[in-house]
Amino acid sequence: MLRRAFSTFVILVALVPCAAAQAPAALTPRDSALHALNRLAYGPRPGEVEQVAAGGVMRWIERQLDPQRISDRRLEGRERAFAILEYDADELATMFVEARRARMERQRDSTAARAPADGAAARPLRRLAAEFQQLAVVRATLSERQLLEVMADFWTNHFNVFLAKGADRFLMPPYIEQTIRPRALGRFEDLLIATAQSPAMLFYLDNWQSVAPGSTPPRFPLSAARRGDQGVRLPRGINENYARELLELHTLGVDGGYTQQDVIAVARIFTGWGIERPRDGAGFAFHDWAHDTGEKQVLGVRFPAGAGMEEGVRLLTLLANHHATMHHVSGKLCARFVRDDPPDGCVDDAVAAWHRSNGDIREVLRAIFRSPDFWAPQTLRAKVKTPLEFVVSALRAVGAEPDTTPRLAQVVSRLGQPLYLQPAPTGYPETQADWVNSGALLGRMNTAVALAAGRLPGVVVSLDQAVPATADHAQLVAAVNARVLGSAMSERTRAVISDQLSVVSGPAEARVLAVGLAIGGPEFQRQ
Amino acid sequence: MSITRRVFVKSGGLTLFSVGLDPLFLARAALSLGRSGPSSAVLGRPILVCLFQRGAVDGLNMIVPHGDPIYYRERPRIAVPARDVIDLDGYFGLHPSLAALKPWWDNHSLAAIHAIGSPDATHSHFDAQDYMETGTPGLKSTSDGWLNRYCRHDREHEDTPFRAVAFGPQLPRILAGSAPSLAIDDLQAFGLRVPRDVARDRLTEAFEALYEGAATGLLASSSGEAFEAVRMLRAANPAQYRPADGAEYPRGRFGQSLMQIAQLIKANVGLEIAFADLGGWDTHVNQGASEGQLAVRLRELAQGLAAFAGDLGDRMSDVVVLTMSEFGRTVRENGNRGTDHGHATAMLALGGPVNGGRVLGRWPGLDPARRFEGRDVAVTTDFRDLFGEILARHLGAGDLGPVFPGFAPDPGRFVGAIRT
Repeated sequence: MLRRAFSTFVILVALVPCAAAQAPAALTPRDSALHALNRLAYGPRPGEVEQVAAGGVMRWIERQLDPQRISDRRLEGRERAFAILEYDADELATMFVEARRARMERQRDSTAARAPADGAAARPLRRLAAEFQQLAVVRATLSERQLLEVMADFWTNHFNVFLAKGADRFLMPPYIEQTIRPRALGRFEDLLIATAQSPAMLFYLDNWQSVAPGSTPPRFPLSAARRGDQGVRLPRGINENYARELLELHTLGVDGGYTQQDVIAVARIFTGWGIERPRDGAGFAFHDWAHDTGEKQVLGVRFPAGAGMEEGVRLLTLLANHHATMHHVSGKLCARFVRDDPPDGCVDDAVAAWHRSNGDIREVLRAIFRSPDFWAPQTLRAKVKTPLEFVVSALRAVGAEPDTTPRLAQVVSRLGQPLYLQPAPTGYPETQADWVNSGALLGRMNTAVALAAGRLPGVVVSLDQAVPATADHAQLVAAVNARVLGSAMSERTRAVISDQLSVVSGPAEARVLAVGLAIGGPEFQRQ
Repeated sequence: MSITRRVFVKSGGLTLFSVGLDPLFLARAALSLGRSGPSSAVLGRPILVCLFQRGAVDGLNMIVPHGDPIYYRERPRIAVPARDVIDLDGYFGLHPSLAALKPWWDNHSLAAIHAIGSPDATHSHFDAQDYMETGTPGLKSTSDGWLNRYCRHDREHEDTPFRAVAFGPQLPRILAGSAPSLAIDDLQAFGLRVPRDVARDRLTEAFEALYEGAATGLLASSSGEAFEAVRMLRAANPAQYRPADGAEYPRGRFGQSLMQIAQLIKANVGLEIAFADLGGWDTHVNQGASEGQLAVRLRELAQGLAAFAGDLGDRMSDVVVLTMSEFGRTVRENGNRGTDHGHATAMLALGGPVNGGRVLGRWPGLDPARRFEGRDVAVTTDFRDLFGEILARHLGAGDLGPVFPGFAPDPGRFVGAIRT
């Protein structure tokens, strides 16, 4: 007995270095390929598991870590159909100002009857917002740079901003395009500083209203004060919202060892970090007049009196390289890529890589993808897909072509994850308890059945790509298992689908039913 | 952690359902087959319906302080003239659009709570709604809602899938969290959507069989709940619904939501918490007085509530309907015949258990010296004290601590909205 335990130990020890260098010996090449495609990508397209397995999964991972070298022509072609990418921040700001002015005028003209609906001037902005949500679905579905898309989603969620809060309606597109995406695989410190200076975040967490007590602006637009809109009154003092979420959510984590005094000091450091007026382009602006120039202490570090904007940058650098931050953010990455409750070993590997590389996100990810925890058998299919992951992986599984109308993004919304519309700064949750409930599951089943039948709006499906039609039901079920479920079909699922097929008339109908049940069934909810 | 607990308690619940050990459930199932009976007397489960007026309703033109000359002085163009106000107690009165609610005031099942709101002074709709739904004013990172936290307890398995339902395409913040809750856009479309009935039934069976085989805790138990819900609703047959007593719900989403809530209550499917919302209250410009934009919105609200109460009839003895809104509006009208974002507002409570026929809460008056920041109605009742009172005294909640973390609702501060 003892000897047997010992020999198992020896085998495990022998396996570990192997897993670190190469794909794990414990998994077949197909299993490892499917696992990598489920986690680093939004699931496999027809035939992709075989391709990745044949080329070597570790080589595919390396390629994904270097997205600039992956050609992405098909997506680039599709992106050209999205007008939202043609507008710059200035144009969006103008559109917002126009819409607001028109709404005021309309309210003024409407004497009674119905409460005025949003009129013509608001429409372009609303349409662009819907288009922007759809763009996220299209990119996730079509891009060859899958890991980049997964990480863009991860950081969008980590540095959450709520699209429907006032000016964030027009600040969001530049936030995603210019702040998040270019830095998604860069250095954490750069990403943190960029989000801190982004008008979208400054507006969302109210820092633009945070001023040193007693300070007054050189000029204040009276019209804004009279209008009584979002910024009704002159800001009078510090606002701690950004400071608190910066420490709790963006960097150190809730147990990161900071105090309320630290929060206040951080808020004072960021006084004056604001936004230009929309008509001036709504870019980042540092207002000298609003900055608290007194001395501050954060986490025991002194920030001497008399400093200006540079002390904020200094603080962000300090936070980005703080051990608690490395641990907190690495833990979130492991929860995303490995398991809801991230294994310590994997987090430690990620933190070590963070140290070594000064927060190079690519190196942190590489460490996670080489960690034994990532390849452990109990990690496979351990995570439930979020609604976005479910919809996109279903589209990819059947090789569907999403169009540029906002209808697929609406499907994701109805399943519970409206994109860019999470009000809480925590972003969307990562754990299965938050996504698995009875209403949501019925929604997923309906989506699956509609997709297989070609009835899902906003998408063109030809099942031929995924599963050839055949009158032989055993062959059909085997094909669905291999091509749609990555050979994960349980015996029970096989039996239930086969039984259902017995009453179906033709091969086309049989295929629709088998694919619909497979995508709506339990195996496909996991990754 | 809650995940493990939920897997555990919910799987336990499934077993109970499938071997039929829950007598209350059997009673409900029997009743839901359409037999009418002494349902309210036998079941009598208290029900809370929350209605969110998104956009910040002008409490002063909803429950009008017509006995105060300051009201008329501050609102020369948008005050509701005294001759139009439906007087309640000599000082306050209903906006004329709320006339349909007067009978419930007279039989003491409608109360108003004035000068209620949040201790947080934000003037952002988004932040204030968020605070009212999470129940943690000033704290942005709370991820779940107070109604969901109320639903979370160690006997979740005794709940039916319809215990907490929000009407609309998505689950609102107030019900977000780890306790199961449903967002239903349309009762008739709930379940698997397939054109033909036969195909739908077969498909439902197939998915049920697929998930029963998934030995994966939460997926299996949640799908079990889903199909339980589908069956219960099928038995209740929402397509055949006819409101009682000739009740006419207002056209539109809000009226539809209220009618569906009434359907679920009458179907005895275990509903305890229902939520719906209605917008259009952000009246910065041309809000009107006896007529106008606000009057139109209030009329829809009142017609909906009156139809709902009429439709439920005796069943209203188990029900409390509570309206809420993120903040109130400025006492003084602005330059555009409207009102800007203020502080305290008014809420309405309707139902048999309500201590009605009175305006509750401490009224701070409109005197500028007593106003918040010199311009808004001051908050004298923290909304958590009202929500807490209703949870404790109507739904019978025991410990309110976990529902409102960092705050202890105090019976000494309860306004007395629920009869004791």
